Amino acid sequence: MKTEQKHSEANAPQRSILRTFLLALPMMILTFMMLSHGKPPSDPQRLFALITTYLFFNVFFFLMLRTGRTDRYRAPVFITYAVAFVISFISHLVEVRGSMALTESTMFQGETPFCHIVIPMTLIPAALTRTIIFPGTIVGGYASIATMFVLWIGASLALGRGFCGWACFFGGLDDGFSRLFRKPLIKRINPSWSYLPFGILLAVVLTSAITLSPTYCTWLCPYKTVTEFAEVTSFKILIQTIIFVSLFLGLVVVLPILMKRRTQCGLFCPFGAFQSFTNKVNPFQIRIDTDKCVKCGRCSQICPTFSMNDAGIAKGRSRMTCIKCGKCVDACPKKAISFNIKGTSLTGSAETSRVLFLYPAFLFLATMAGGNVSDAIVRIIRLITTGSMV
Amino acid sequence: MKTLRSIAGYSWAFLALFITLATFMGSPYFSRKLASASGVTISPWFSGGEVAAIRDHGSYTTKIRRPVFDGLISERKSGFVQIDWESEGALPVEIEERIDRNSDKAHDFTIRLNTSTGKAQLTAHDSSVKSVERVYRIKKGWAVRVLLRKQQG
Repeated sequence: MKTEQKHSEANAPQRSILRTFLLALPMMILTFMMLSHGKPPSDPQRLFALITTYLFFNVFFFLMLRTGRTDRYRAPVFITYAVAFVISFISHLVEVRGSMALTESTMFQGETPFCHIVIPMTLIPAALTRTIIFPGTIVGGYASIATMFVLWIGASLALGRGFCGWACFFGGLDDGFSRLFRKPLIKRINPSWSYLPFGILLAVVLTSAITLSPTYCTWLCPYKTVTEFAEVTSFKILIQTIIFVSLFLGLVVVLPILMKRRTQCGLFCPFGAFQSFTNKVNPFQIRIDTDKCVKCGRCSQICPTFSMNDAGIAKGRSRMTCIKCGKCVDACPKKAISFNIKGTSLTGSAETSRVLFLYPAFLFLATMAGGNVSDAIVRIIRLITTGSMV
Repeated sequence: MKTLRSIAGYSWAFLALFITLATFMGSPYFSRKLASASGVTISPWFSGGEVAAIRDHGSYTTKIRRPVFDGLISERKSGFVQIDWESEGALPVEIEERIDRNSDKAHDFTIRLNTSTGKAQLTAHDSSVKSVERVYRIKKGWAVRVLLRKQQG
């Protein structure tokens, strides 16, 4: 593995510092605009957090461009984003509500933040009843429904399922756990398991439409464990809470550690399955040059979402579930895998395609993560200096 | 044809960056537009339904919401009606009110709410009224949901 990695690194194109700087400059300007909203904060703590966040993002983007490696520098930012999101979100809840628990009062007054995972469940009821089956707010407030829909539409058009590899605020958790061990303890699973998310998607979409309630959120979401959950006031809610915690430990912590894969995203998440279809309506894809490929199987072994298989490799494409994280591109010892723009040939510049993908993808990541990372830094400073995050 | 596809591909790829910028910069505008153009609202199963009648009691008001039986395609056999009691100051400790849930000039149930404990007692005057489903705090007072069975005809 080490030899392959070294081989791959040796083949990676190294840009000069000046060329990299020029190529990264637009991102520096764009992230400054996005993170500061054109007006840096006057509070010194917030200003420090903003500068740290800004430098953190741009150093990693610079390294991505300079070294030609994508996932190696995406992953730390993506994982930081998820951890920062959890810190920032929980602190916000404690500040506003006094706890992570979601009371009936909060729920029925429409104060529940909307999350993208609910989107597929809301579509049939929205089409037939013109109502959204979620206890949030349509416009305004924290994480409103319309805002999340706009972000989802934008991300789908720009990145397709790349959303799961670059913009999802939960994905970094199982991504992080999947990188803790050097080697997987569970190496192979039946490939049929990778169709499970589509089954779950179908089940939650239908049951949500029938019951007019988001069943995945009520019964199956592992991320409730690290965001918000219903106040335990009945046996039913206790069972739901046990399910949330068990799924979190199983799919987000233990299995990613054992398999070195994003098991929640690749084997369970209904939104991920739904988002796979949007890979058809955006310009970027992962292609395999079958002439260069030596069928070593490295890409299938490491793909976090089980999106590489023999059939796909033979056709020169990843499966539609590909999250465009670039892990296979980085790892391929023969550089047979590359980012590609639909309609263009494989013999064209793969690096141009990669850079054209990296700009919207990293901008999505930096903009969505910026507020959370910056806020998490402020809260950590507060914790150190005052003993409390809120 | 190949060149044309290539040009289209690169144009689309460039467009992705502008879509990303527009998504974030225009998010408030697009959100409002999306909400108004789609006309969607929060499901009454969560929002409690639209307010159908308001009674002013001087120091507090009672809002009677429309009974909710909404289903995906047709109405359901069981539903609820939500009553909100709101006050700018404090609500009386005991509130007792007779409710006409469907504006047919006949009282369907009487509800007694203790605002210090959040306990509610229901006296049904109509066979369609089943029980108190839940009592919960709202910003300016309390809300009670009463379970209903749909009346035939």
